[in-house]
Amino acid sequence: MTQTKKTKQEILKLSVPSCLKYIRPIQMFIGQLAQQLGFCRTRIYDIELIIDEVCSNAIEHGSETPDSGIDLTLTFDSSRLEIHVRDKGKSVRKNWLATGRLDEVSQKMTPDSERGHGIFLAEKLSDSLEILTNPLGGTDVQVIFYFSTSSGS
Amino acid sequence: MANGSMTTRESADAKIIDVNEDLGSYAAADLRKTIDTLIDGASQKIIVNLSEVQHINSTAIGAMVGSAKRLRTNGGDLKVYGLAANLKRTFDLVGASSVLEIYDSESSALAAF
Repeated sequence: MTQTKKTKQEILKLSVPSCLKYIRPIQMFIGQLAQQLGFCRTRIYDIELIIDEVCSNAIEHGSETPDSGIDLTLTFDSSRLEIHVRDKGKSVRKNWLATGRLDEVSQKMTPDSERGHGIFLAEKLSDSLEILTNPLGGTDVQVIFYFSTSSGS
Repeated sequence: MANGSMTTRESADAKIIDVNEDLGSYAAADLRKTIDTLIDGASQKIIVNLSEVQHINSTAIGAMVGSAKRLRTNGGDLKVYGLAANLKRTFDLVGASSVLEIYDSESSALAAF
């Protein structure tokens, strides 16, 4: 009989001001966590890059002021690392990545576009990307990285 | 000239920006400002040295792509060199490798002008 080892799911929560200067420390913290969890170097690079892209979008497009803040929830166990980033939206543009908006950005994007690549990098480099609107009028971006994928864990 | 962790020097008739920090969203603004200052000062040939950069994001790449397009309208260009494998992969994923001229060394970037 094969016995499946149950591992406890752990959750970490971070709330930071909506300031770009905090992204690098957040990246470094999550990179260290990913290393501790056993992800390989390339995967850690991808995770850190996605943190940069998703958090900078949440700050630039989903935060009214620096005090608006963004919330990160990291959930992990022996099979995966899930990162959830929540912004509260802007009064002039609620849910900046609402359904349809991603397609709109995608259609406009070309290799020589200066902006709009970040969310697509997140989609390409993660194992799962989900974008949802939240009750605060903001956007939730959830990315998941599984261990033992083709990219190596 | 220095702007944060970036320094600018001259070689032949090109301006070379040595980037000495990772190019995330915060530092990308410094890079854009440094390049804009050079372009506003009539520099036409700009090279960005990325050999000390471990991380780069799409905003920083976009700043270089936009500047290269701007320079090309007046016969100039922006070229980059010294990309580590992870950086090259990010350039490839956003399609910037097909827009920007990327070289292994400063001498080859200079020779390409």
